[in-house]
Amino acid sequence: MAWNVETIISLAAYSGGGLAMGLGAIGAAIGEGQTAAQANLAISRSPKASGEIFKNMLIGQAVAESASIFALVIAILLLFADFSEPNLIKAAAFFGAGLSMGLGAIGSGIGSGLPAGEACSGISRQPAVTSQLTTNMLIGSAVCQTPAIFSMVVALMLIFIDFSGSPLQPTWAALLGAGLSMGLSAIGSGYGGGLAAGASCEGIARQPRSVASVTTTMLVGQAVSQTPSIFGLLISFILMFKSFPESTSLAAAMGLLAAGICMGFGGIGPGIGNGMAAEGAVRWVARNAEHAGDLMRIMLVGQAVSQSTAIYAMVVSLVLIFVV
Amino acid sequence: MKELGKLHQLIIPLWGYSITINLEVILMTWIVFAVLIALGFAATRKRDILPRPIQTLGELFISLLYGLTEDALGKERARQYAPLICALFMFLLISNWIGLVPNLDEPTKDLNTTLGLGLMGFVIAHYAGIKTKGFKAYIKEYFQPIFFMMPLNLIGEVAKIVSISFRLFGNIMGGSIIILVVSHLTYSIVLPPFLYAFFGLFVGTIQAFVFTMLTVVYISVQVK
Repeated sequence: MAWNVETIISLAAYSGGGLAMGLGAIGAAIGEGQTAAQANLAISRSPKASGEIFKNMLIGQAVAESASIFALVIAILLLFADFSEPNLIKAAAFFGAGLSMGLGAIGSGIGSGLPAGEACSGISRQPAVTSQLTTNMLIGSAVCQTPAIFSMVVALMLIFIDFSGSPLQPTWAALLGAGLSMGLSAIGSGYGGGLAAGASCEGIARQPRSVASVTTTMLVGQAVSQTPSIFGLLISFILMFKSFPESTSLAAAMGLLAAGICMGFGGIGPGIGNGMAAEGAVRWVARNAEHAGDLMRIMLVGQAVSQSTAIYAMVVSLVLIFVV
Repeated sequence: MKELGKLHQLIIPLWGYSITINLEVILMTWIVFAVLIALGFAATRKRDILPRPIQTLGELFISLLYGLTEDALGKERARQYAPLICALFMFLLISNWIGLVPNLDEPTKDLNTTLGLGLMGFVIAHYAGIKTKGFKAYIKEYFQPIFFMMPLNLIGEVAKIVSISFRLFGNIMGGSIIILVVSHLTYSIVLPPFLYAFFGLFVGTIQAFVFTMLTVVYISVQVK
């Protein structure tokens, strides 16, 4: 067997595509299962609304599925990519793209299943507000997809941008690091956004009058939960677009790879933690809408503290990229 | 696919430095200004107790945003900050929607626009904080809970600018990259209109709202 450049590139693309779809299937399936479980509970509680609940379940699952559809698109692009360009950097870029999309779809898939499930059980509790619940579920689930969309953007950039002008030695590690940074940091943010959206559907079903302030709090809470994945996006942009000097030692390359891994893992916990803070705030805004302003402020301060760990990870990554 | 990440730039060399101007972005920003001025003019001209449709639209819009600002900042400060908040939201909304028109691009697709707006919100929030609390109390907050947390608190404040501006930039630019690639792969059949509706109208509106709300909440965290 000959190990020429083309073989290595196609090997990277095929394994990247497989990882993208394999990892990408995890989240959406769990999220959809959660939705179906809540729908069953809801139908057994109020069998009269079973038609509405069934319809809502299908819509919610369709939105939750979109994360894994993004993964499918990237996987197919990788399987039929252009292998003719004889440059080893392409192999790293393809593998990084697969990792970014596959890991990035996990959180958003699980997360967007949560509002769909809560909306189903909310319909069984308050059939009168079905349309408001469905609208709120759609907004919440769609915003949950943002980390997966960021991952898809990084994957598309890795696939299509021409990196052949850069030196092979540190650049391969930078591209792998870019994929890992975005993919891993999207896990927590996607799930955290789902927690906030789920609480908002539950809250609207309990207190239909508080819908405006609940939706506002949910959107702000989700946006702040996504901050770790935005830091991940920032690090992966820097890794993709900064030009690194050629080096023969492996240390420089490992530094860049470590920067990506550091930001990626560092973003998981803060994403989930911020989501929990947002979940609490949204749940109590629904029950106590007069104090929505105070609750939102406390939520934001709490999130800023739990987010500080993501900021430490970002600082270490930036030091690894620019100083070491 | 070569246009991924390409920009038309005017580069002016000046005393050894070079000033880079993104021509398209400036043109698009001016178009957004023109649209906003035209809308404002149409909504306020010939005001009447029986409003015409466009006046109704303007009033609904302003009262909604005014109410949101009042909830977060209180009656007194809302009078001061609501005009800014309304203007910010309308600018972002038109900016994010303008990509729906063929040959026009969103100004928010450029990091310079979003970073500029993020910096503006940051400066306003901190100015408001210094004005209400006084300079001493403002500085003292950075040394909470213990004095050596100061650098980390400082980085945390700067990270707010990064997150608010990258959130808008990433969403809008990500949408346009996905539309570009999908249109290229499907030869612009069937799918792109749905993608424009999702990324332009839906994501654009939500992100404009989120950016505005976060600016309001950052001000309210500083003043209370």
